Amino acid sequence: MSTDLYPEAKTPIRDDILQHHARALQHIAAPGAWFSGTERVAIAAETRLALECPFCQTRKDALSPNAVSGDHTHGGVLSETLVEVIHRITTDPARLSRSWYEGILAAGLADAAYVEAVSVVIHTISLDTFARGIGLAPRPLPKATDGAPSGYRPASARHTGAYVPVIPPGDEFGDEADIYDGMIGANVQQALTLVPDEQRSWFKLVSAQYLASAQMRDFDQEPRAITHAQMEFLAGRISALNQCLY
Amino acid sequence: MTSADGGVPAGSELAAFAEALVAADPGQLAAAISTLRQAVGDAGWVDAAGVAATFNAIDRVADATGIPLEPAKVDLSADLRAAIGLDAFRDGRG
Repeated sequence: MSTDLYPEAKTPIRDDILQHHARALQHIAAPGAWFSGTERVAIAAETRLALECPFCQTRKDALSPNAVSGDHTHGGVLSETLVEVIHRITTDPARLSRSWYEGILAAGLADAAYVEAVSVVIHTISLDTFARGIGLAPRPLPKATDGAPSGYRPASARHTGAYVPVIPPGDEFGDEADIYDGMIGANVQQALTLVPDEQRSWFKLVSAQYLASAQMRDFDQEPRAITHAQMEFLAGRISALNQCLY
Repeated sequence: MTSADGGVPAGSELAAFAEALVAADPGQLAAAISTLRQAVGDAGWVDAAGVAATFNAIDRVADATGIPLEPAKVDLSADLRAAIGLDAFRDGRG
């Protein structure tokens, strides 16, 4: 399956990337905790549509995102609130704020559903960025897998300072006992833990595309074809361009 | 190496690759890929694409979930944040 994912690539792609990209696409298509597979594939498709949304472009260009009003151009499948979430995270993430997030909750999207939507969006953006980075078009989205959302919410998730509840390191137990395996529990590693399977899937992808947590701090080993210094320089440049303050 | 390359080998090519990817300009990206491949080889190019794919997404995880800086990073970055007024900027986001 994975070897068919980038058949027109001009260079070999590491097996672990191929395996986790195939897995990530299936993850997007499968029922989650709060959305069906059909809804999750629609979220991924809407992530791509956001890049062509004229209202998003106008808002991105405005001095403040609150200075313009209008309607998103979208696929017509998802709620207006969910479309707003997907489009803002995709096209103007640096100006997201707690008040915006609270407005999303007030409009009826539950916190855990929000986290799951964030995860599907960023899985999609990551896969699509990789494809474009190796000179190819984003891969076709998979067909949704049948089944109902689990409705699972970890009992240990709580507010610790982020917009969303998280499982703080030290509070992982039961079904979440593995959630920080091999990780230091940095805040960004906590961010998606309100929907544990999303955190697990995302950091498997991170480990394949970038480095596993332990590898990030092991400067005696260079497991990639570019060095730690080169990777961190590139990561820093991407984050600066995205105006990410974390 | 120059000040624009971060002091790392192929830094200029990596920076151009990052800028082209975020700009989503196909012509700019094709040129950046070509020079990056020459600078770091094909395996390095694939690894660079993986790193860029990771951070173009993880930035959005951080921004969308509002995670704070870890205390150690707060301490380490205090002088820099004060110098450029970054704390006031974040507090003022609407």
